[in-house]
Amino acid sequence: MIESIRDLARKWLESKEVDAIFGLKEQDGGVAPYLFTGRVNGISELGKLTTSTQYRRLCYTCRPSKDNILSLMQRREPNMKIGIVARGCEERALVELAKRGQIDLEKIKIMGIACSQEEAKECKCERPYPNNLVIGERVEGVSGDENINALLSKSLPERLAFWRHELSKCIKCYGCRDACPMCFCKDCKMEQKIFTETGSLPPEIPMFLFIRFYHISERCIGCGECEKACPVDIPLLTIFRQLRRDMKDLFDYEAGIAVEQESPLLTTLDESPMRKEVTSGV
Amino acid sequence: MEYKNVLTTCPYCGCGCNFYLQVLDGKLIGILPCKSHPVSQGKLCIKGLNAGDFVTSKDRLTKPLIKRNGKFTDISWDEALFLVAKKLKEYKESYGPDSIAVLSSAKCTNEENYLMMKFARAVLGTNNVDHCARLCHASTVVGLVQSFGSGAMTNSIRELEDADCILVIGSNTPEQHPLIARYILRAKEKGAKIIVADPRSITLVQFADYHLRHRPGTDVALFNGMMNVILNEGLEDKEFIKERTEGIEELKEVVKKYTPEYVEQITGVPKDILVDAARTYAKAERASIIYSMGITQHTTGVDNVRSSANLAMLTGNLGKPSTGVNPLRGQVNVQGACDMGALPNVYSGYQNVVDEKAREKFGNAWKVKLPEKPGLTIIEMMNEAAKGNIKAMYIMGENPMVSDPDISHVKEGLEKLEFLVVQDIFLTETAQLADVVLPGACYAEKEGTFTSTERLVQMVRKAIEPPGESKADWEIICSLAKAMGSKEFEYVSPAEIMDEIASFTLSYGGMSYDRLQKGGLAWPCPSKEHPGTPYLHKEKFSRANGKGKFFGIEFKEPAELPDEEYPFILSTGRIIFHFHTGTMTRRTELLNKEVPTGYVEIAHIDAARLGIGAGEFVSVQTRRGQIKTKALITERVPEGMIFIPFHFAECAANVLTNPAFDPVAKIPEYKVCAARIEKVKVS
Amino acid sequence: MAEFEPKILAFCCNWCSYAGADLAGVSRLQYPPNIRIIRVMCSGRVEPEFVVKALSLGADGVLILGCHIGDCHYIYGNHRTKKRMAILERILGYLGIDPARVRLEWVSASEGARFAEVVRQFTEEIKKLGPNPLKEVRA
Repeated sequence: MIESIRDLARKWLESKEVDAIFGLKEQDGGVAPYLFTGRVNGISELGKLTTSTQYRRLCYTCRPSKDNILSLMQRREPNMKIGIVARGCEERALVELAKRGQIDLEKIKIMGIACSQEEAKECKCERPYPNNLVIGERVEGVSGDENINALLSKSLPERLAFWRHELSKCIKCYGCRDACPMCFCKDCKMEQKIFTETGSLPPEIPMFLFIRFYHISERCIGCGECEKACPVDIPLLTIFRQLRRDMKDLFDYEAGIAVEQESPLLTTLDESPMRKEVTSGV
Repeated sequence: MEYKNVLTTCPYCGCGCNFYLQVLDGKLIGILPCKSHPVSQGKLCIKGLNAGDFVTSKDRLTKPLIKRNGKFTDISWDEALFLVAKKLKEYKESYGPDSIAVLSSAKCTNEENYLMMKFARAVLGTNNVDHCARLCHASTVVGLVQSFGSGAMTNSIRELEDADCILVIGSNTPEQHPLIARYILRAKEKGAKIIVADPRSITLVQFADYHLRHRPGTDVALFNGMMNVILNEGLEDKEFIKERTEGIEELKEVVKKYTPEYVEQITGVPKDILVDAARTYAKAERASIIYSMGITQHTTGVDNVRSSANLAMLTGNLGKPSTGVNPLRGQVNVQGACDMGALPNVYSGYQNVVDEKAREKFGNAWKVKLPEKPGLTIIEMMNEAAKGNIKAMYIMGENPMVSDPDISHVKEGLEKLEFLVVQDIFLTETAQLADVVLPGACYAEKEGTFTSTERLVQMVRKAIEPPGESKADWEIICSLAKAMGSKEFEYVSPAEIMDEIASFTLSYGGMSYDRLQKGGLAWPCPSKEHPGTPYLHKEKFSRANGKGKFFGIEFKEPAELPDEEYPFILSTGRIIFHFHTGTMTRRTELLNKEVPTGYVEIAHIDAARLGIGAGEFVSVQTRRGQIKTKALITERVPEGMIFIPFHFAECAANVLTNPAFDPVAKIPEYKVCAARIEKVKVS
Repeated sequence: MAEFEPKILAFCCNWCSYAGADLAGVSRLQYPPNIRIIRVMCSGRVEPEFVVKALSLGADGVLILGCHIGDCHYIYGNHRTKKRMAILERILGYLGIDPARVRLEWVSASEGARFAEVVRQFTEEIKKLGPNPLKEVRA
């Protein structure tokens, strides 16, 4: 599969379909995101283009500027056409970012790759493939999640005790937020003193993480980067995955599928758009 | 457009986490956790995730500065180096080399520390070189060498996960070493018993099976009490003691009288809890001790450290995975700076300056005659400076004006100096007192290696150019040495310096940049083929006869105890949101937002008695000085104790602390002194 | 032991329920004294964080009272509120906080009696639920 990705990347670069390929590069005994422009070592540097189960996504929000790396690139060179090697979750992130005005999808060409059954299982991914599938075989998503079942089978006091234990471990690193492609607010509520007392550990339970649960609820693309970033292994994805189900249930909405589909929080109760003069500036 | 990620090592604590510096067209735009790193595994704490912020701060020094008529003005590098070289030569010639003292830095790379100690010894001709390890783990270096022969963490971080019992004493691990605390919590999930011994109710206590809340400074009694229980109940590892150690009789003799009842009187820890904790520790298949500054920063620091070693040896918890005595080092490269010999008594690899062979080896290589007498430690340097015996000082990347005990005295010493050079990335409180300030490059702007607390040597890679005219510290040292006429500083890259280190230092013998580029190596790594050593003392200890040594140690009270005039015990330390003297973290937006300034923790009951309300200004006084700060009323400290984080220069805890030090390790007693606290009257 | 008297926080929209509360008062309608009212310009001003903050600071129940759908002074403010509260309710449930502690109702300026009734019913229900367990988490 990796050879097909490299071949296609080479083809796209040589035919000038794209000016650069955004993908993972083998380096320093690991992998890291890299922009292959063919300018450093010519087209041969594509030999280092790879995929990894460790970094399934590439488009992180950069801090302290709080811009997505792709927004930064596009702002710097608005006419550059970037090809991106994207799994299902990455594509969903791109769709949501475009929907929310962060990136220009017109200038991005998605090289969609499918995750293997094994990879899908590791992430418990419900949609382990992109819409623009170019390379690889589409496999079915994983439907069950024992963590969710375990949570839902608990009584309310048991759930509270569970989260009280889990959230007590929190060291307020903001790693979950920093890893989230959807967390790009310039003024983050998690940092605001009126909601969460600053400087204390653990941060206010459940307020600190509730802010993310709520704010990401309808935009979560289910990539699981937040949970992977957590130094104390708080099972954040259990709530986010359940919330993705809730969005379907409550509003028949799924984040990251189509740019045209507006967030339910921006539509009226019968899911029609709110009048423009009302929504502008929101 | 160029976008790349440069893998490097986090510049804060000793965990040794790695991350990528994201660089877009030569500009640092963010931090990306490294998921393939053995310790951090794609996770970081708040400081690591924001470690890019201060790098681009507008406060960075960009030009050499000279103080004329009390004001700093820019000068060129050539002028600055010429002046510093000339001055240092003058002092060396007119007052002798020992009139000069050098502070190296646990924030700088191994290569830079090696060069700094080489510069002090070979160019200046003095052993007066020390760094802040003196203030944090000098007791470890001395104590564990006496017990085991090697003064470092015996096991590796990830092994903690598989321990059956972890005793955490004097370490607020979740705040000071968050990524190590991760493995304690994981061990807990797997069923390990956690024992926390700390006067403060730190966040880890919630996850602990036992909390031994002993009175500050009574650690030796606590350890002796545990060993008393273990010996009485026959829980010691008799075979290990017989085969691998010596001196058990001496220990038995001393701990005899430390019955749980007696220990309860001294420490305040209820005897039943002590007994249970001792049994739990002794009965565990794999028990690990984690300690940090809570036991080292005492006048009995060495005793505390050797007591922890006693306990581990008594139960055979050494030389196996997931066991050991694990001092957590608080600065990114404090282990490395010690390894490199930035200490007054040893060269790299702890080769003693009084050992003629070692002296000859280094002397021959550097083509000079090296000084024989061990040099001065930090505290002694400040004392001698105040007396006028030290005339000139060269400080690289340290900020004693915030970090050292009894700051008023430090200031007196530094102001008395005739010539002070400070090499740093910011105009720190110390740099403000300097005659010449040289701008260094920070971790993101230079190449080198850091040695983490688990002895893991890892690459620091250059991601961006240093700002303005600032230069990597190793380049500055080389230029200065050359300006002073030395021909032994002709390095073209840090890789070359590492080769020299490897050739003189057995434990680093097999290291080279070629190998390190592929991943970290834990010392000892004596040869090119050696894979590194995750845990020490497997078959024998590093002492000359291969045996671990027990010491019978009596409990001694701290140097200054509360009395009528100063009724509180004052302890100091760090918090998760800031680092050391705050030079970097206070220039990081998010961290500053979390905790913008200092405070004093005081128990509800004391606050109520003294009429102090939450957030009110109080004055804290000791025999050294006084500060004004805000009260934080909390259950974290017990009655009769107050705690102040030391990061904040405007309400510096170290104005108050006691410079009384351990007789051997010369580490000051930051953790206990007598203090008075009162509400500041609003006029 | 004295009967549990819950503390209830009510966010009332300036254009409807706040006036409704006023009307209840002027009409001398009896309703339990357990509620404390915070006036907001629209129920849409109530961020879910406000509700969680109230609960974690010790409120046993939170009422959000807005205009009937179609009557919002800002046209769609209450549409937003309704959707937000639906999500909030789910999250509270997963975290182990009874969603019944939070209730969204529409009360117009002319519905003084309805205001009193809603408050009465909600207070009864919170009394049955007992003290909010989050208080203890914070302590």
